[in-house]
Amino acid sequence: MPEDELLSTHLQELRRGTVVLACLLILERPNYGYALLDLLERHGFAVDANTLYPLLRRLEKQGLLTSDWNTDEARPRKFYRSTERGTALAGALGRDWDQLDTALRTLKGES
Amino acid sequence: MTSLSDRYVDTTLRRLPPRQRTDIERELRAAIADAVDDRLAAGADADEAEVAALTELGDPARLAAGYADRPLHLIGPGLYLDYTRLLTTLLATVVPAVAGVVGFTHGVQELPVLTVIGDTLSAAFTTAVQIAFWTTVVFAMIERTPALRLPDRAWTPDSLPAPPPSRRARWGELVAESVALVLVSTFVLLAPVVSPETDANGEPINIFDPWLWDTGFVYVFLTLAAATLAFSFVRYYVRWTLPLAIAGALVNVAAAVTLIWAAATDHMINPAFVAAAGWPAEAANWINVGLIVIAIGTLLHTVTESFRQARLH
Repeated sequence: MPEDELLSTHLQELRRGTVVLACLLILERPNYGYALLDLLERHGFAVDANTLYPLLRRLEKQGLLTSDWNTDEARPRKFYRSTERGTALAGALGRDWDQLDTALRTLKGES
Repeated sequence: MTSLSDRYVDTTLRRLPPRQRTDIERELRAAIADAVDDRLAAGADADEAEVAALTELGDPARLAAGYADRPLHLIGPGLYLDYTRLLTTLLATVVPAVAGVVGFTHGVQELPVLTVIGDTLSAAFTTAVQIAFWTTVVFAMIERTPALRLPDRAWTPDSLPAPPPSRRARWGELVAESVALVLVSTFVLLAPVVSPETDANGEPINIFDPWLWDTGFVYVFLTLAAATLAFSFVRYYVRWTLPLAIAGALVNVAAAVTLIWAAATDHMINPAFVAAAGWPAEAANWINVGLIVIAIGTLLHTVTESFRQARLH
């Protein structure tokens, strides 16, 4: 396996889940798919449209997001928003992330 | 929206369950339009913008798989264990069987040893490859076809495989058993009236000890034999249950014990018949020993068979 393929496999595993957390945090204010894609990218979360749109649907199915079609503008768009449950989950995931971060710092400090 | 985007959307939707299509179509078209607008604003021309937007969305098959939550691997975790189990079983049984048959038939033809070995190995290899290939194809199809999969993959004891048919009396055995019982019963029942030997009065001499008739023992034995046959039929047609298995085993044991007892107490063969036929004096003893051996064999078979079936259930 070439070096960069190895790296990307491990990066993918490491980042799996962070996109979910980022979405739940960003969508505490309603937003639509394409704008979310843009926002994620600007905040440094590399995610494909191919992955994001199905992910939003899955999170909605799990009751972490709700959606509404906004038809006020010329182009109807589906707006997603975190539910109470989604916000709670984001809180729990965020705390876990902080703990991991602390743990990693300790590890790196020790070595 | 041009035909290129339409084709993209159509290709994606075709791979999705119909009830999801309407909503996903709206969402997807809005997303494509947003992406195209973004690029137009950045100064691209319309065709370029569309191609770039669709390229970014990627393979519609992958997108649809994501929407449908469908795995993009050949044998997924849900089927992996079934797959490996079946493959192992097939490889472990069929390959040696094929190798054995090929080796034996070629060996019988007295071909050179190396040819026999080579043919055997190549037959085994071909068989293994075929089994692996077709098993994989079938499982891949099952995985890709939700209708073929069980809705609930959670394991329960109910999903244990049905016991193999060999646990049941096979049909051929059943027929053989029936024929044997009819022949033996006829022979026993006719013995008092049909005999190759006759006494001084011209009356037929029963090959079996008249004591069996005097005590009614012969009818007990024939009844037990008939009951044994009946249980074989029941076992063939009815699902295995513990009471049924115990009753069947007891009847078998009773029949065998009855036979052993009659033989051991020297009540099977009529001494008068042995004398009239001019058999050696020891003949009756040997027949008794033979009958006892057969009966003990039946007993052992009943016991081991019961253990085997009980373990299967």
